[in-house]
Amino acid sequence: MSIKENEKVENIQSSDPLGTDSVEAPKYSCALGGAYGTALGVYGLVPLLHAGLGCGMGQLLGQFYAGGHNAGGPVGGTSTPTTGLVEEHVIFGGEDKLRKLIEASTEVMEGNAFAVISGCIPALIGDDVEAVIREFEDEVPIININAPGFNGNSYEGYELFFEAVIDQILTSLPKEKGVVNILGVVPYQHIFWKGELAAIKKILGKIGLKANIIFTEFDGIEKLKELPAAEYTLVLSTWNGHRAAKKLEEKFGVPFITFPSVPTGPKQTSKFLRTVGEKLNVSDDVVEEVIKEEERRTYRFIEYSGDILLIARPHSYFAVVADSNSAINITNFMVNELGYLPDIIELTDNPPEEYRENIIKALTEDLEVASLPEIIFEPDSYEARENLRGRSFLFLFASSLELYSASELGAPDVGVPHITVAFPSYNRVILDNSYASYGGGLRLIEDFTSHFAGPL
Amino acid sequence: MTPDEFTNKFDPDHKIDLEKNTCPNREQRAQGTNIFYGKASELIKDAKEGNIKCYDRKLQQSSGCVLNFYLTVRVATIRDAAIIYHGPLGCSSPSLGYRELFRAVPTALGRPENFELNWITTNLQQDDVVYGASEKLKNAIFKAQKRYDPKAIFILTTCTSGVIGEDIEGAVAEVQPEVKAKIVPVHCEGVRSRLVQTGYDAFWHGVLKYLVREPKEKQEDLVNVASMLSYTWQDRIEIKRLLGKVGLRVNFIPEFSKVEELEQLSEAAVTAPLCPTYTDYLSRGLKQEYGVPYFLYPSPMGIKNTDEWLRQIGKYTGKEEEVEELIKEEHKIWVPRMEAVRQELLNFKGNGEQVEVLGALGQGRLLSQLPYFKELGLKSSAALTQDFDNLILEDLENMVEETGDFDILVNTFQAAEQGHITRRRDPDIALTCPFQGGAYKREKSVTRLHALRGDPDPWSLQSGYAGAIAYGEFLIQSLKNESFGKTIKAKTGDSYKDWWYEQPDPLYYLDKETSSK
Repeated sequence: MSIKENEKVENIQSSDPLGTDSVEAPKYSCALGGAYGTALGVYGLVPLLHAGLGCGMGQLLGQFYAGGHNAGGPVGGTSTPTTGLVEEHVIFGGEDKLRKLIEASTEVMEGNAFAVISGCIPALIGDDVEAVIREFEDEVPIININAPGFNGNSYEGYELFFEAVIDQILTSLPKEKGVVNILGVVPYQHIFWKGELAAIKKILGKIGLKANIIFTEFDGIEKLKELPAAEYTLVLSTWNGHRAAKKLEEKFGVPFITFPSVPTGPKQTSKFLRTVGEKLNVSDDVVEEVIKEEERRTYRFIEYSGDILLIARPHSYFAVVADSNSAINITNFMVNELGYLPDIIELTDNPPEEYRENIIKALTEDLEVASLPEIIFEPDSYEARENLRGRSFLFLFASSLELYSASELGAPDVGVPHITVAFPSYNRVILDNSYASYGGGLRLIEDFTSHFAGPL
Repeated sequence: MTPDEFTNKFDPDHKIDLEKNTCPNREQRAQGTNIFYGKASELIKDAKEGNIKCYDRKLQQSSGCVLNFYLTVRVATIRDAAIIYHGPLGCSSPSLGYRELFRAVPTALGRPENFELNWITTNLQQDDVVYGASEKLKNAIFKAQKRYDPKAIFILTTCTSGVIGEDIEGAVAEVQPEVKAKIVPVHCEGVRSRLVQTGYDAFWHGVLKYLVREPKEKQEDLVNVASMLSYTWQDRIEIKRLLGKVGLRVNFIPEFSKVEELEQLSEAAVTAPLCPTYTDYLSRGLKQEYGVPYFLYPSPMGIKNTDEWLRQIGKYTGKEEEVEELIKEEHKIWVPRMEAVRQELLNFKGNGEQVEVLGALGQGRLLSQLPYFKELGLKSSAALTQDFDNLILEDLENMVEETGDFDILVNTFQAAEQGHITRRRDPDIALTCPFQGGAYKREKSVTRLHALRGDPDPWSLQSGYAGAIAYGEFLIQSLKNESFGKTIKAKTGDSYKDWWYEQPDPLYYLDKETSSK
């Protein structure tokens, strides 16, 4: 079934189009939170927070625990050095405190490089962070990331991190054939980030490409430095990582290709591999051989779910409350591979206006379904809950904030199965799991069918 | 803070001033510090002589601020209120857990079926910082009123709202006539104080100033119990059970309470502590304004402490005899079980040595927990505490007299220092709060100090008689399998270079050039 030519997607505008108004429980933290999480994804890099005493603790609870219940790791959480600015620093400046913190941290912490991430207070009091960092330039590599919380959210923090890296530590390198950078997966915000990156690296490896996924690689600083050597950057998001990719192109001539999201299941993954293969001049034979082998296995396995899918919950409506990346790959997989009907999709990541048309396109243009979903950009968790009332959906892919809404929204005593797939995820611990690539489709089937499976 | 505002003279009977917009910082009110290492007896001596210092650290690690240790995770659990965080997005992100905190508690255990918790951030942007944000705050108040129709709206301030000089009281005065909910400003900007405990006082100041009502009538059977974040649902059940048996009702505040329960604080017979340092400001305020008596020591942790806690309550409620009867009855059940736990712990090492425990505690917990450990037959020759101030001076002195002297490291979640002392002292059991960095990577037992807030399992209980036994048995379990910490220690890297553990001083990075007093 294909969409009628003239059918228009109903796109209800959000309660707060720019995402700058007051809001209940927005599903992201601030720029500092995003930059901090991104820095922690780079193994060997030690973040230093030039910020208030509680900024780091706040992100442990509200960014890392919320991002699939992950502890801070060896240099995150309470291990992260911070200047911990209080009133007297507001009056006299925080530069001296920062200088001492850099001296002490570089002396005692295990790490290959450091990143000073500055929050609201230094910005408000006008600390010259760059000058302090310059004093150490001959001793230790330090990246300077200016990320006051009032300048944006976690996704902004991701871009700020890469902009700082590109401006401050990267130098031109000869291009290396077959190497691709992966951008657009934001640590902690995309709760499956670790597993997604690993799966992408693995599948690209099968067609002979070397993916620089940066995060979770044990030579993280080297991986950052290698970014200019790639043939292409693959941006796996309709909007995250775009600024970073553009900057890499402008400064180091690395072109980029954009994909709607990390691919989930055979259809999306095969399409992804064909596009990448073509751009990177991988022989068709190699690509098609991999696709054939992977699809054959994956679909054979999907057959095992045939009975539970068709008997327990066939072709029912579902709803999504998630960031754009997750909403796009889950919706496409559910509709195009399993035959479900999209009811309402609420996008919680507050993408800038200029990307929204493309997001709607990615959510609808390939859908093989007779009725298109309602799509709402909704950063406000109260509005997002209200929008779910009186709907037809029988299960809900969402953040853990919707966990108890789902039980209240269903028929009395039945509830609606809820699957946590997006930030915040307090009720689901994510270490290595993801819905990426061929096997990711199988994981998704396992996760949602287990909510209603039972004896025949 | 100008130097003459600092005073090292501590008056245990000091008044609190509700005419002011907020409380004094703990540094001023009680000469608090978050940095000290030495004998408890030295700390006591320093405190008496007014020599307590609050130095900076050259290596400061993420710990917590006035807003973001306690308030963001707990105030948003007040059931018929709404919270407005006046700040950028990130300050309130710890509140994202609000909808799940208590929902795992089965309704059969007394959790109401349906409830909503509400919070909003004003989501300050660069323009707001430049041009001011009081309109935005006012609009957020109207939004909260319209959406949630709450009984109270708490406004929690942040570093940004503080540094840009937002006039919170002005905005509140302007909109209160148009808003049905009582608006309660809480001045908890992180920059105001080094001590997270200032946040408790700031919150209680708002509650006392704006919410607590003139008593309609005294409720002679009502006991105020302020439940601090490290107590679980089962602790509430145990406390209710014990007081219920002598015909008393518990007014649990502020977590998961209703606004009404905060309003009626003035009508209770007594305010009892779970954590003295947490409850101090509230208890003082209720006594001063409404004559509600209070006591601050002990907390109901361990059998002896629970006996004494109940006796104190009995004294203020005229239930002395009933309480003695209760204690007798309870002892019949629990004392033999306690003795069994104690024997198992005493014999655990099999060589006549006691099991040594090192815990990181709030200063309030410290006071009750060390005697409780002694009761369990555990040895604690050192303790970590988040902070220290004069509010507990007398009780600490009494405790040292009773349990003997011990080493004390005062720090608020300083992971390198906690890792250092844990590695060097190498206790049999290290009790960890989740916020201790790599201190859990060790050869011997490591377990938690307390459970998740919404944990409904009796196994996680710590308070009262049932809790004294449950936590003792829990500690025994922790000694029976040490593979997790051991494996992680062997298989993962350390956060610090080797020299850190080889040098003797956990406060190596204390910055002598700086002291706030």
